[in-house]
Amino acid sequence: MGMNAQGSMAFPQVWHPQTAAEAWHLKQSFGTDSVYVSGGTLLRTQWESGVAAIPKHLIDLSAIRGLGEIRIGETGLVIGGQVSLEACRTHPIIQRHFPIVTEALRQTAAPSIRRLGTIGGNIASNIGDSLPALLGYNAHVVWYNGMEDLQITLSEWLKIAGMLHTERLLLQIQLPFQADETLEGHEVEHLRSVISKTKRFSAYHKVGRREAFTPSVVTASVSGSLSEKKEVNEIRIALGGGQMIAQRLEELERELLGKVIDVQLLRHVYNRIMQLYKPREDLFASVSYRKTTAAHLIASELWKAAHQ
Amino acid sequence: MLLNRENSGSRWRIRPDGAGKVTGGLVYLTDMTAQPMLYGLVLRSEHPHARIISIQTERAKQHKGVHAVLTHRDIPGLNAFGIAHPDQPVLCADTVLYVGDALVAVAAESMELAQEALELVEIEYEVLEILEDPEKALLADAPQLHKGGNAMHRTAFARGDVDEAFKQCAIVVEETYYTPRQMHTYMETEGGLFVPGEDGRLTVYSPTQHGFMDRMQLARILAVSLEQIRIVSSPIGGSFGGKDELNVQPYGALLAIQTGRAIKMHNSRQESVRAGLKRHPMRMAMKTGVDAAGRLLAHQVDILSDTGPYSTLGAEVLNFATEHVIGPYKYENLNVKGISVFTNNGMSGEFRGFGGNQAIFALEGQMDRLAERLGMSPWQFRKLNMRQKEDLGPFDQPIAMTEGAERVWTAVEKSRLWQEKTLLEQSAIAVSTDPWLKIGIGAAFTMHGAGLGVGIPDPAGGRLQLAADGKIEAVFGYEEFGQGLLASLEQMLIEQFGFGAADIRMIIGDTDIVPDSGSTTASRATAMMWKSLQRLKKPFTDQLLKEAGAIMGCQAEELQLREGGIGKQTNDQVLLSYADLASKAIFPISSETSFSFPTSPTERVGAHFMYTYSAVVVKVELNTLTGRVKVLQQYHAVAAGPVINPQGYLGQIEGGSSMALGFTLLEDAVMDKGHYMTRNLDTYLIPTIADQLGLVEVEPIEHLPEQDEYGPRGIGEVGSVTLAPAIAAAVRQASGKWVTKLPIEPEFLQETPFFLTGASGNDRT
Repeated sequence: MGMNAQGSMAFPQVWHPQTAAEAWHLKQSFGTDSVYVSGGTLLRTQWESGVAAIPKHLIDLSAIRGLGEIRIGETGLVIGGQVSLEACRTHPIIQRHFPIVTEALRQTAAPSIRRLGTIGGNIASNIGDSLPALLGYNAHVVWYNGMEDLQITLSEWLKIAGMLHTERLLLQIQLPFQADETLEGHEVEHLRSVISKTKRFSAYHKVGRREAFTPSVVTASVSGSLSEKKEVNEIRIALGGGQMIAQRLEELERELLGKVIDVQLLRHVYNRIMQLYKPREDLFASVSYRKTTAAHLIASELWKAAHQ
Repeated sequence: MLLNRENSGSRWRIRPDGAGKVTGGLVYLTDMTAQPMLYGLVLRSEHPHARIISIQTERAKQHKGVHAVLTHRDIPGLNAFGIAHPDQPVLCADTVLYVGDALVAVAAESMELAQEALELVEIEYEVLEILEDPEKALLADAPQLHKGGNAMHRTAFARGDVDEAFKQCAIVVEETYYTPRQMHTYMETEGGLFVPGEDGRLTVYSPTQHGFMDRMQLARILAVSLEQIRIVSSPIGGSFGGKDELNVQPYGALLAIQTGRAIKMHNSRQESVRAGLKRHPMRMAMKTGVDAAGRLLAHQVDILSDTGPYSTLGAEVLNFATEHVIGPYKYENLNVKGISVFTNNGMSGEFRGFGGNQAIFALEGQMDRLAERLGMSPWQFRKLNMRQKEDLGPFDQPIAMTEGAERVWTAVEKSRLWQEKTLLEQSAIAVSTDPWLKIGIGAAFTMHGAGLGVGIPDPAGGRLQLAADGKIEAVFGYEEFGQGLLASLEQMLIEQFGFGAADIRMIIGDTDIVPDSGSTTASRATAMMWKSLQRLKKPFTDQLLKEAGAIMGCQAEELQLREGGIGKQTNDQVLLSYADLASKAIFPISSETSFSFPTSPTERVGAHFMYTYSAVVVKVELNTLTGRVKVLQQYHAVAAGPVINPQGYLGQIEGGSSMALGFTLLEDAVMDKGHYMTRNLDTYLIPTIADQLGLVEVEPIEHLPEQDEYGPRGIGEVGSVTLAPAIAAAVRQASGKWVTKLPIEPEFLQETPFFLTGASGNDRT
């Protein structure tokens, strides 16, 4: 009763731990009465719609040292989980080396929300718009398990998202540079001659119900390279959208390696996406629409890579 | 000439309420507070249809900080409201008919305490079978929601014999069209401040489109005289028809009277969705036939409208739809039937376009299908069947004659966008680098009635007076809800009288001060202000000049009004300021006028007399991979007499068309078993600026016949009417598919791409 009124006015206690360990301990002691919060933009919508209750304790991660910056690490770019979506979107190294991440963030929410919302929160939601783009670059995540920092691929992190306890505390995202981006001198010269004959491609699509500030119906990314003969050298395909946990289609990726992009292969891509992609239905878009759309988008990008 | 800043020159003015609105400095009525003040909340039904067994409020009454808990037993007067047919209970006693039905109102010292009190109210229901399909609601064994049955209102208009005529037709097109439950989505949700005075009077600060109507309805509920209530109703953060009917006012008023304290109410968005009005979802079955030359011989229409649980203006909306499914064309034989049906869905009611949007989507769909079957240009086909200047209106009623129809038709025919359609047909335009993107262009036409129509009281009028401080006061009973009413009034006073902006004080929206100028609805306010000023110009100017002449010792004929005061015609100087005139004048200077919106000499209830003619050409891009449609460009031609305020005119057409874009591509307040599934703006999506980036051109056609005495026609609604069928026509060109249901489902427009079928991309045009 009364759900029609102004919403229940709970005022949670907000904690500001300085380290991951402190945050972890707070979460351990408050248990399900608490949630980690960064920008709070997604949580706010869940409270408003009644999907989740406002918890008694909010554990604010923004004060944890070292999570608010983007730096160049040994093997790639390291993005702290507390970096805002807007700071990621406008970061020159991300724009240059990971353009589909920039594109994904351009299409995420609205400017005011991107300034509050963080990349860590977007990932931890399991349904964030950035996920297919990050999967496209084989991103890794670093998380804290109460004792130590652990690193796994984002793809693995998402696979166990449904099973693992919600307390796992995301610290960083690592985006590996492409092999040629870390080399120097004569090695580069040699590689360039090989690279010049291959064609790199990448694309990100978000299909929502309107042109901006929209929940996604389908998010899709594809990236890879083709040989001169239009054979697939490398490929990553990632899909998400709606309430579905984003996923890489690794089975399909393996099937495509070494194959020439032609009508037959594109049909295969279409058919396999229809089988492998498992989006969830809601009031606004059917499963079959989501599947068809994802299959069309991925196949169209492969067609473009081969023909344009 | 296109309407834009450049072409408008000095007539392009900054609106007087602009700065306050863009800076956030303006105080809306729902921003107001009083000290001390209580918060009012309403408990609404959990079920879309149930019998009320008991309402227990004891625990709520004992809760701390609670000052009043009201039920139906606490209503001194009529426990019902509704502008035309008061059949909606203020607080339900026996049954609830939708999820917005109110049961209990509470006032408490804080919002939290009021909320807690609502949670302590215990209501026992017996859940009843719900009616969610208006078709099923008409079956003989359906539960009856009202004593008079579920058929709230029926309409019929017939001429000749359509059955016989269809036999003579060379081509007959039959189609059924469906339109969505669109939400007004004003930025400011319903609310207000209700202040009981020491004199026993009640002041209501709450947005509405007709203050005097609210006063009458509230007096009836409170069982007090009209004079006991003062309604202050502007400024308003958007309405679009949605705040025309009472919403929170009965509860705020009852709680204020009961507690003797000021009451603040302000709906959350979720409560606004749940209780508020929506556009009537309609199903329109049409059968239309032509002879081999393309002349319309027969038109048969069956309208089914879901009006929800109570009447408000559902009958009037159906009357309007019935008139507009006939619209701007001539038919030898006609048979139109409409029915508006009570259901347990959300409340349907008044909404910009007022049934015209649904009607024209269907009617123009028929015209495009017939033209295509005939192999004719859709625009030539319309011309062939269009009402001419001397013709009667849709209900065969006399109407104010203009050349609007023909001039709008010609403007579209000559427009660059329409010419581009022909080039597209001839494939003379290069295909996109992404061959799955397809372009289409379509157009649609309407004549849209203004005013409430025959048989409904439709008063108009206003007052001009010189205030003691020398301000020229323009006093009207109209409302400013963002449409630019104040800007239009100011511009008319400057241009028609010669006043400066600083000389003027505009007073609106306060029943203690303003005359009853009628409602600010039905595209009528600007036309009625214009007419009022026409009538006031001579008497008010004469009074000012006569009084000034007496003071200055000269003849009134030697003088004229100008910015800052009065001067002689022989030079540019101001010789007597308005302030000096006010302080020295012996008699009060004031002129008032009252009249009625002009109506057609017919018996037909709801028939209109004054029409705006308009058409739009729209260019869309369809992505066949995703089925999504993007509007690229629009050209509107609008024949509505003189442009009073260029910026306001443009704003109304652009704003109306963006609402229509939502209606066509996005918006539907989805209901399931009587409950809203789209409870907030994260699921009920309206267009963002990114959805309407394309160029919108507006061409006003100002021409009126020389003898015309009615001046500007309404433009408040017409921008929202034609875009849907035009987009549907454009989609037809892009995809080869006919859209019959709005909003357009992307899934319906997806196509298997050529690269999967083996066809080459370049062959696919």
